[in-house]
Amino acid sequence: MTHIMIALSILCILGGFFFFTTATIGLLRFPDFFTRLHATGKGDTLAVFLSLIGLALYEGFSLSALKIVIIAVFMFMAQPTATHAISRAGIRRGIKPWVKGEEK
Amino acid sequence: MIISSDDIIIKTIARIFVPFIQLFALYVIMHGHYSPGGGFQGGVILGASLVLLLITHGYEEMRRRVPEGAVILLGSLGLLIYSGIGLTCLLLGGNYLDYSQLSVILHVDPAHARAMGILGIELGVAFAVMAAVCSIFFDISTGGILPEDEK
Amino acid sequence: MNEFFVVVGLGLCLLVFLVLYRVIFGPGVFNRIAAVSAIGTKSLIILLIFGYIYNRVEMFIDISMVYALLNFIGCIAAAKYLEMER
Repeated sequence: MTHIMIALSILCILGGFFFFTTATIGLLRFPDFFTRLHATGKGDTLAVFLSLIGLALYEGFSLSALKIVIIAVFMFMAQPTATHAISRAGIRRGIKPWVKGEEK
Repeated sequence: MIISSDDIIIKTIARIFVPFIQLFALYVIMHGHYSPGGGFQGGVILGASLVLLLITHGYEEMRRRVPEGAVILLGSLGLLIYSGIGLTCLLLGGNYLDYSQLSVILHVDPAHARAMGILGIELGVAFAVMAAVCSIFFDISTGGILPEDEK
Repeated sequence: MNEFFVVVGLGLCLLVFLVLYRVIFGPGVFNRIAAVSAIGTKSLIILLIFGYIYNRVEMFIDISMVYALLNFIGCIAAAKYLEMER
């Protein structure tokens, strides 16, 4: 049983690491502010959720695992809100979205 | 002066989160002996929750819920708790903040008296720090001019 | 399992340094805030992994929870400030 839990947790943490990597590549390579925010907003949220679930599975049933799940739920609600607030501020300040054919 | 945000997502999430953040701050204050934390850190988190309320719901709403006078009163109360416990220890014949002397009035053995004294001190520090953070943020965000001054 | 955590932690540190490029050279303040927020989420996981490596998870969980909280409040405050200033 414990081997299955450890294998699942390794799988979850590796999935989280993969999404962190894609979010970082998106942040570095995308052309303008909104597309970069799109990459980090979705990618990081899922990556944090997967990594925390993986760590909680590795911990087993304990108080620490419950706290990790609480952090996961908090991040799953807080991260999209923060992304939304930043993108809204960007629109209010008049940042133009990138259209195809423009200079990066 | 900070006005209320006109976005329903940010306001709702902040309204949901503020009580939980304050609960976590109380946990950090009370659990300070065993894990990182204590009075100062818990007070900063309490102050941060009120700052979150202020920047999402605006100055008017914040002043209706947490009045300026109450914040200053809480800060003074925290200082009073801190120095009161310290002076009580001094009056009972020990050094300043020597909690083991409190066992005479609490009717417990010195080790328990020490734990209770530390808890009281941390509560006082937390109140004072929360009031200081809130007061500084109030003054910076309004530019030092409060609405009741203009009337 | 410990080696696995070390490798994942080092990989996340590398990703933080890659994001740091956007913080330093990113055009405009909004790109920088987005990148700082991304660094905050990565360092939360790095803190927890540190906790598992040193076998002191109960201690590091509280730190990482405070980190998540202050990251969120900081993002909202920066967005509010930039929205107000015209």
